[in-house]
Amino acid sequence: MRGSNTALGAAGLAVFLALGEAVPRLGLVKEAYFPPTSRIASALWDEVTTDGFWSALGDTLTGWAVGLAIAVCAGVVVGVTVSIVPYLRETTASTIEFLRPIPSVALIPLAVLLYGAELKSVLILVVYASFWQVLVQTLYGVQDVDPVAEETARSYGLGTWARVRHVLWPTALPYVMTGVRLAAAVALILAITAELIIGAPGLGQEIAVAQTSQAVPEMYALIVVTGVLGLLINVGARTVERRALAWHQSVRGEVAV
Amino acid sequence: MRRLLAGLTAGAFLLVATACGSSDDSNSSSDKGSSSGGTTTVKVGIIPIVDVAPLYLGQKKGFFSKQGLKLSMTLAQGGAAIVPGVTSGQFQFGFSNMTSLMVAQSNNVPIEAIANGVASTGVEGKDFGGLVVKKGSPIKSAKELEGKKVAVNTLKNINEIVVRDSIRRAGGDPDKVNLVELAFDQMPAALDSGQIDAAMAVEPALTTMKLQGAVEIASPMVDVAPDLTVAMYFTSTAYAQKNPAIVKKFQEATAESLAYTDTHPDEVRQIVTTYTKTPANVLAALTLPKWPADANRSSIEALEKLSEQYGLFKTAPDLDKLLP
Repeated sequence: MRGSNTALGAAGLAVFLALGEAVPRLGLVKEAYFPPTSRIASALWDEVTTDGFWSALGDTLTGWAVGLAIAVCAGVVVGVTVSIVPYLRETTASTIEFLRPIPSVALIPLAVLLYGAELKSVLILVVYASFWQVLVQTLYGVQDVDPVAEETARSYGLGTWARVRHVLWPTALPYVMTGVRLAAAVALILAITAELIIGAPGLGQEIAVAQTSQAVPEMYALIVVTGVLGLLINVGARTVERRALAWHQSVRGEVAV
Repeated sequence: MRRLLAGLTAGAFLLVATACGSSDDSNSSSDKGSSSGGTTTVKVGIIPIVDVAPLYLGQKKGFFSKQGLKLSMTLAQGGAAIVPGVTSGQFQFGFSNMTSLMVAQSNNVPIEAIANGVASTGVEGKDFGGLVVKKGSPIKSAKELEGKKVAVNTLKNINEIVVRDSIRRAGGDPDKVNLVELAFDQMPAALDSGQIDAAMAVEPALTTMKLQGAVEIASPMVDVAPDLTVAMYFTSTAYAQKNPAIVKKFQEATAESLAYTDTHPDEVRQIVTTYTKTPANVLAALTLPKWPADANRSSIEALEKLSEQYGLFKTAPDLDKLLP
């Protein structure tokens, strides 16, 4: 089953790549502005053999990883705190609903004013965008705690910390992991966007330089790299999710009773 | 009690935010850049184009290290982001076109130009910027652009001014042209597909279009003045007052770099590959600008007059304050 899925996935990708080769070759779009797959592939090869590419990749991944780590920690801590401290959820709900829809990109002027074209600016955008994903999932997860289990834990005399650890956390974890997976993708998008627009070092800036240099194939090659990065991050996030939730029925895949 | 807690959390949040902000302020307000072992590192805000080759070449040739300077280039997206970066102290120096500098000065933005940046070649048809039409276009002169769609990278800036003036010089009505804003890198595709009738582009977009058969109908920057000073390096007034020695060193190193760059075109084409990704065929055909050691004041005055004529200034800029 899994084997055939992989085969289908590969076939789909092959068709996509072939289309990418054929469309410009047939003259449906101009080769100069949309180079065929083979041309992009050779530009990609040229890119990966330069040092600049790897340091840019490193910069992007640093921004992504640090930003995601901050967002996940903050999201979980704030989410749990807001949920278990009575009335705090109600007090903060409107504020959260107000702040959450603000697009991170709208904070670019603020980030530039505060930190200029540096990693810190990237982090502001990445953290802001991915924090809400984790926070909201954590809030929902905590809400999902079975009241009977909670009451049982209480009547057995478990303290607050023990209840968080043994009742709340296992219930919330599947939600949190979904939040982390979403946040991982969002963090990458924002890291690249920040570099592209602010000019902080990284893959986004390389794309911008290729664009101003009229280096069209190189630009597409770098865009492909960001796509591959997104794919790897998603696969990685799913793996982590499966590991962390190995005990959970959604992952065990056994028939629920 | 709970509200108090929420208040405290919010307060703590703000405190952290301001703490981060102020720690950054203290970094940038030290204003000297970081110095170690007699070498001062200064941040320069630039755009990754051929115009700034002297900085890279001068750095490589040791003209800056000789003065005890180390340049740290920050690539900005478009010159507009550089002026605020310099005034806020994120960059010690910046690269900007003359019109932007004059507009900033006329709005009392505290900046001063300190070293020459780049100049037009002054040769009609062989400048690093040009007004081009598509291959086979019926438009043969700038006059015929009346009622046509012409792309410039930024409206209300140097390229709009020079295009309007070229149309006027060719006998057309500069107010009848339909100018649209389009980034240089998008001009080749737009011209090719007929979305625009003409484009005012600089290198490397200009060569890209010419290689596709586009025809140059005017060299607007040459039309304004012979050897027009197109851009300069600048710093904030505050930085210049606090660090006159560093500014002086930067000026001397830049002057030496400009002179060297202007006489070594082959090395320019080589150094450009280290900070841009310009394709080899475009790079070989590129028209290099001129890099005179000093700004050409009379050309700047000509540009000022035109900019005023086309309504860019609320009050006229004070060139004595702006120029070195």
